[in-house]
Amino acid sequence: MNGLHFTGVAGATLLRAMAALGAVVVVLYVLKLKRRPIAVPFAALWQRVLRDREATTLFSQLKRLLSLLLQLALLGLMLLALGDPRTAVNKTSGRHVVVLIDASASMKATDVPQGAEDAVRKDTPPRPRTRLDLAKERLRQTIRGLSGSDRMLIASLDATVTPLSTMTGETSELERALDGVRAADVRANFAAGLRYAVDSLRGLPNAEIVVASDGALGEPVDGQGPVDLSGIKLSFVKTGDSTSSRNVALTGLSVRRYPLDKSRYEVLVEVTNTMDEEAEVELQLYGDGKVTDLVELRLGGRESTSRFYPNLSGADRALEARVRLKNGEDVLPADDRAYALLPERRRARVQVVTRGNMYLEAALLLDGYLEVVDVLPENYPAEGRFDVTIFDGVAPAVAPKSGGIFYLAPPSDDHTPFKLGDKLKSDKAFPLGFDELEDKHPIVRYLSLGEVNIASARELEPREKKDVAVGRSLKGALMVAGRRKGKPFVALGFDVRDSDLPMRVAWPLLVMNVIGWFIDEDTGYISSYRTGEVWSIPAAASEKTATLALPDGTTRTVPVKDGRAVYLGQDAGLYELALPDGKASFAANLADPTESTITPAPTLTVGDVKASELEGFTVGVRRELWIYFLLAVLGMSAVEWFTYHRRVTV
Amino acid sequence: MGILDVFKRAAAPFSRRFVPRAAVAERELFDDEFQRKLEYLAMVSKRVFAGSMKAERRTKKTGSGVEFADHRDYAPGDDFRSLDWHAYQRFDKLLVRLFEEEEDLSIYLIVDSSESMGFRAAEKLRYAKELAASLAYVGLANLDRVAIVTADSEIAMRLEPTRNKKRIFRVFEFLRRVKASGDTDLKSALRTFVAQHKRRGLAILISDLYDPAGFEEGINVLRYNKFEPFVLHVVDKRDGGPELRGDVVLYDVETGDEREVTVTPAVLAKFRTEYDAYLARVERFCVTHQVSYFRADVEMPFDELVLRVFRRGGFLK
Repeated sequence: MNGLHFTGVAGATLLRAMAALGAVVVVLYVLKLKRRPIAVPFAALWQRVLRDREATTLFSQLKRLLSLLLQLALLGLMLLALGDPRTAVNKTSGRHVVVLIDASASMKATDVPQGAEDAVRKDTPPRPRTRLDLAKERLRQTIRGLSGSDRMLIASLDATVTPLSTMTGETSELERALDGVRAADVRANFAAGLRYAVDSLRGLPNAEIVVASDGALGEPVDGQGPVDLSGIKLSFVKTGDSTSSRNVALTGLSVRRYPLDKSRYEVLVEVTNTMDEEAEVELQLYGDGKVTDLVELRLGGRESTSRFYPNLSGADRALEARVRLKNGEDVLPADDRAYALLPERRRARVQVVTRGNMYLEAALLLDGYLEVVDVLPENYPAEGRFDVTIFDGVAPAVAPKSGGIFYLAPPSDDHTPFKLGDKLKSDKAFPLGFDELEDKHPIVRYLSLGEVNIASARELEPREKKDVAVGRSLKGALMVAGRRKGKPFVALGFDVRDSDLPMRVAWPLLVMNVIGWFIDEDTGYISSYRTGEVWSIPAAASEKTATLALPDGTTRTVPVKDGRAVYLGQDAGLYELALPDGKASFAANLADPTESTITPAPTLTVGDVKASELEGFTVGVRRELWIYFLLAVLGMSAVEWFTYHRRVTV
Repeated sequence: MGILDVFKRAAAPFSRRFVPRAAVAERELFDDEFQRKLEYLAMVSKRVFAGSMKAERRTKKTGSGVEFADHRDYAPGDDFRSLDWHAYQRFDKLLVRLFEEEEDLSIYLIVDSSESMGFRAAEKLRYAKELAASLAYVGLANLDRVAIVTADSEIAMRLEPTRNKKRIFRVFEFLRRVKASGDTDLKSALRTFVAQHKRRGLAILISDLYDPAGFEEGINVLRYNKFEPFVLHVVDKRDGGPELRGDVVLYDVETGDEREVTVTPAVLAKFRTEYDAYLARVERFCVTHQVSYFRADVEMPFDELVLRVFRRGGFLK
């Protein structure tokens, strides 16, 4: 007992209680049992039976003595349990532990011993064991090694930090939280995780941060600078095997249609070898699920290469790139696939309100996917719904169902979203043309308009601040773009026939760009998003929320701000956003060479603090002894009950 | 009567010796149904033993009958008419001829009336009474002399020898008055019996044979005094398998001897073995000593039992 300390009822009190209650037990035992009198017709017949029983009187007395000793032992054990005895090791007060489980993409690597099937994973069909599975198994042992006064909080660390439990000593809750951890296709935000852990442990005694990871977390530095652990102990549960971390990754995939032939497209793929040694890889490109191209590449250690596929056709929507090692197994399948979606091709309806403009008609003829309806000004509006209406030399009141409006040389500004300013003339000193261009605007991007000569024009003045003067001469704005009630408009302040613009390649491209921008088919289309970032997905401006279907089939309701759905994407794959007038699909990829470099780090260092091995969580070592005393009481009572009812001890 | 005695009386119903009796007898003893069965038994006994002459039962007594039994030496005072002159001629010795005396049979029904017979609502005693009544009727119907006594540690009640089956109602009346009381001491009681009854005959002992001193002594008293013992052993199987469990104190209904015992299935099994051994010991003793023995289980209807007795023989020869 020298090594035991009573932290419950004091030892002296226990001794006095034992003496008093023990005396009571002895007195109760000494009291003779009141037996039931039963008459028998001939007691002599019982004599022989009882004579044999008397032969065992000594044994009976011994049993009675044993029974008394048993009762005293039960009493003693219960009193000991009340004393809450602890060993010197266990005398310290409870620890407070925050466990950060790395749930980044690299934790999906399968470079861990596969061995016996883990009872935690019940996948059908069974999937290979990952670094995360191994980390979970080790943490499960840690949870079982918690003492009664220890408290633990489990948090998942991916692009954000997500607490999965409260600070609790309940092993069932902690194990449930552990089961809930799943790896995402993102890089871990180590700094955010550590800051959360430090904040959670502030002011708590025996604080400890346990990081379960492959160690490829980088320096924990964020906008606030390096993370300060404030003296909190840091432990590291390492997972992963540096000798078998073979991985190549797809770190980029983008696709776009050709502006003038939207049935054709071009693709850019980037492949990275994250290993130090040379690797032979096989790159496959799929269009709508069918193999479009297959090529073998040889990449040097840590080399990245891009491959360009021009002038492709065949696929209508989805593109997928796959990469695999020719020799050996790639332990991280998460970055071996990348997805991209082609911009959707739609047959846009264009209403041209004109008295005849050959150049305009010629430009519109270039895109076979346009359905053009010519209308005389007096017949406007035509029947039906249009995506684009072009007012050529007219500016009537905009009728409903007209779509985006493209004004060419508006004669008045009575019904226009801009004002008409002074008449501008070209002269020798200041030839009229586009002297300034917003060349990042979709309608003029990649166009060469700087050398266009214009004979005369009207200055355009935006009515609202958010309207953009896309093209300006030194004398005033000549091209304005903006939105009214969600509908876009573009205005050109001169008649193209008063310029040499129709003689240039830029003219039909400008018309196509304007129409493309109106129908959201601009050249800035994002064919895939990157996981771990907040995405702004085009959505209906009138909606507050939208429903997003994730690659695993689940759906989320996401907020919509300024016509963009906002979502922190963590999984690679194809997504679908439900819109009021249909659905919009998009793809997301890991595309992170740093995260794909999965070689585990042997140690973990935060600033000057080097993480130590996790210790002191051996099952049973720190458990309170009173539990075992009560279990012994229960066991002895069960044995006594069984033997009594089986008439062994009576 | 002191105040202590008053207290004892008041507490008597609650004492351990208090055994509640059956509130109402299941049916009246010796009712019409019973009497019809008796008549039937009497008829059956005559048919089964049609060759037997009434009152021609041979006895162990030698006397003035016609059937030669034995010789013995002449003693002065013997009747000269009994001398066997042919033997005298051949052996030159005076011998007297002895004949088996033919007389009406004396049947003694000895009913055990100790407390143990009254155990468990006196079922054994009732059964013993029914057996005694039926055997008495058969005896009376065969013109035998029938006497009934009840025995505990002494001869408690007596019905003088009588004959003629019309007297059966006296028998009924006598038996109705018999109550279970007293301890069993067959040796003492039967010693008194043989002293009171000089005329030897068939002594039918109807008893559970729960004699602390040993049943053998009592039967031997009859044997040694030239009675023909016939043991009807009244047995209640429930005596061998009491429904007991747990810590109890057992006391003998007759002697009051107490024994503390914790009854377990093992103890019960052992007791059953002991009980069976006791029944076997009784039967073995009787067979060994040529005493007619019949086990009378209270669960068997009395008329069926009596018929079995007849068929097996030994009661009427």
